[in-house]
Amino acid sequence: MPRDARSLAELLADARVWRLKDATAAASRPVWPTGRAALDARLPDGGWPTAALVEVLLADYGLGEVQLFLPALLADGAQRDAGGGRWLIWIAPPYEPYAPALAQQGLDLRRFLVVRPESATEALWAAEQALQSGACAAVFLWLKGSDMRWLRRLKLAAEEGGALGVLFRPERHRFESSPATLRLAVSRDAAGLRLELLKVRGGQPASIALEP
Amino acid sequence: MSARARDSRTADLFAAELAAASVPVPAPKPVAVPPPPVPPVPPAARPAPQRRPLWYAVLFPALLALPAPQERLHRLAHRAQRYTPLVSLEPPAALLLEIRGSLRLFGPPDALQARIDADWARDGLRARSAAAPSPLAALWLARAGASIVIEDPAALAGRLAALPLACTGWDAPRLERLRAIGVTRLGELLRLPRAGLARRFGPALVAELDAALARASAPRRAFVPLERFAARRDFEVGIEEAARLAVALAPLVERCARFLRARRAGVQRLQLRLWHRAAPVTRVTAGFAGVTGDPRRLQRVLEERLSRLALAAPVRAAALVSGPLESLSGGSDDAFGGAGGAAEHAAAPPLIERLRARLGEHAVYGVAAIAEHRPEGASRRVREPGVAAARPPIDAAGVPRPMLLLPSPQRLAAGSAADARPSDWRLERGPERIESGWWDGADVARDYYVARDRRGARGWIFQERRGRDWYLHGLFA
Repeated sequence: MPRDARSLAELLADARVWRLKDATAAASRPVWPTGRAALDARLPDGGWPTAALVEVLLADYGLGEVQLFLPALLADGAQRDAGGGRWLIWIAPPYEPYAPALAQQGLDLRRFLVVRPESATEALWAAEQALQSGACAAVFLWLKGSDMRWLRRLKLAAEEGGALGVLFRPERHRFESSPATLRLAVSRDAAGLRLELLKVRGGQPASIALEP
Repeated sequence: MSARARDSRTADLFAAELAAASVPVPAPKPVAVPPPPVPPVPPAARPAPQRRPLWYAVLFPALLALPAPQERLHRLAHRAQRYTPLVSLEPPAALLLEIRGSLRLFGPPDALQARIDADWARDGLRARSAAAPSPLAALWLARAGASIVIEDPAALAGRLAALPLACTGWDAPRLERLRAIGVTRLGELLRLPRAGLARRFGPALVAELDAALARASAPRRAFVPLERFAARRDFEVGIEEAARLAVALAPLVERCARFLRARRAGVQRLQLRLWHRAAPVTRVTAGFAGVTGDPRRLQRVLEERLSRLALAAPVRAAALVSGPLESLSGGSDDAFGGAGGAAEHAAAPPLIERLRARLGEHAVYGVAAIAEHRPEGASRRVREPGVAAARPPIDAAGVPRPMLLLPSPQRLAAGSAADARPSDWRLERGPERIESGWWDGADVARDYYVARDRRGARGWIFQERRGRDWYLHGLFA
């Protein structure tokens, strides 16, 4: 029996399984318009979900992956609200977050935190704590490995804490299943930035070319 | 007047200046300037004769040689409180005691001074002391090594006149400027017109002189002894698991919280000492993001901290010791959490605490933009997010800056072009010339470009103006 129970959990977590509960829950949530009409049109409710786990698969760092989310987050004023806003937390970024660039974007550095855990498990634990604390507008996590149980916990934590969890992972995890509400792969070709929506709860997979 | 007799007996330093005392030292009559830059001292500020304070200053030269004199000074201040409730610290190595009220108990001023001095001497501490109607005068006299008691404020100016200016402890630039106009002793300074002094050296200097001469009151902050919570608990059976230890410590945490509540105080740090049968004592420190006395918060952070701990041996006893008590009303709770009223906004400091307790103090930090030309110096890790962030960065004017900076520039393989431009990168924007830092020897002279590599990643790359080598410095993530 335990074996069956596990396979059910795995089944539910599979990207191809689309659960009605998630779709209805997502519909009632506010979203952050991405500022790119082509992208908003393809996302359920027209923007990034505000209380969900989004997984971003990357061919390389430096494609503008943070820029996909940061302006939307800031335009909403969720992070910067005269010092009383919610926090933006970056966990295990590949390099050092650069304060002048962040300030340039209009980010409130008084509500910005970097966490440098020593292991992937610690990083996941920190992300869960941050997501469910209710203190964060968004938590960005850079992760190399994969652990289904942990990703599922992150998704629940994001929903519970009303925070956007963004998980940046290498593209090689593309064909693994993931509990994320939204999965996209980011790459860049001659035409510019290309987003492939691999999994969209309440929407359709799509491939979108964005301006550079 | 035994004090006067004592003056002339011991203060040979002033022998010459006793004459100077009769020289009319410029009183605070701002001579010819109609709007006096320094407000005249209201008569009310002058204490009534019988309630006139008497300050005893004591200086411990030996403390200056200690690496951390603060703690020793606190202990001495604690001891000095047997003579008077009003003890004030004058870091790094001096104390000020208001002894007027103690005279009834301990006898005349010089007797009391001798008694206190003997007390320090018994302790093997060489002390220099003096007593005067103002704390500053007492301190300056003590620094000059004059072991005297001056009770009459009118005699102060004459007594202070001979002191070298260095006794004031003023900073070197001010002393240098005073020396430039030929002033090396206090007497020479006191003879200068107030208005001119205030103009040239600022009203603070004149105010300080007034305070020293007891013409203006200068309130001192009373020393409050450090109080800590400390309690110990023994366990009949050694505790082997950290998780059980956290449960066993809960009563101690509860007592600590009650102790703090009774004093309306909180702590920023808790220390835990764990005793084992055969292993050395384990010490654990738990830090908080703000001052707190909340038992749940104390317990939670302690638990997180213990969860990281590998116990070397079963714990036989544990002691919980608080850091120094801090006032809860001081708003230090808010220094971090901001004044945002909503509950979720206040939730961050506990989150930060929890992350720090588990991952370590340095694993959780903020970043601050620093006004510095050198790119690697323009961003700094800070413990408290937002510190120094109010300062606008130099280049906020739309020059692109990368979201992520490499820990150190990474050398790029040279291409075959004439300027050895890296073949993997296509330049999109630039150059932006950045030159600076020559004054501390770490100067840079670089031409920065925004460039894109073959896979589409956008980087911030630069060419050394001297070596002509190319480097990758950041990524536009």
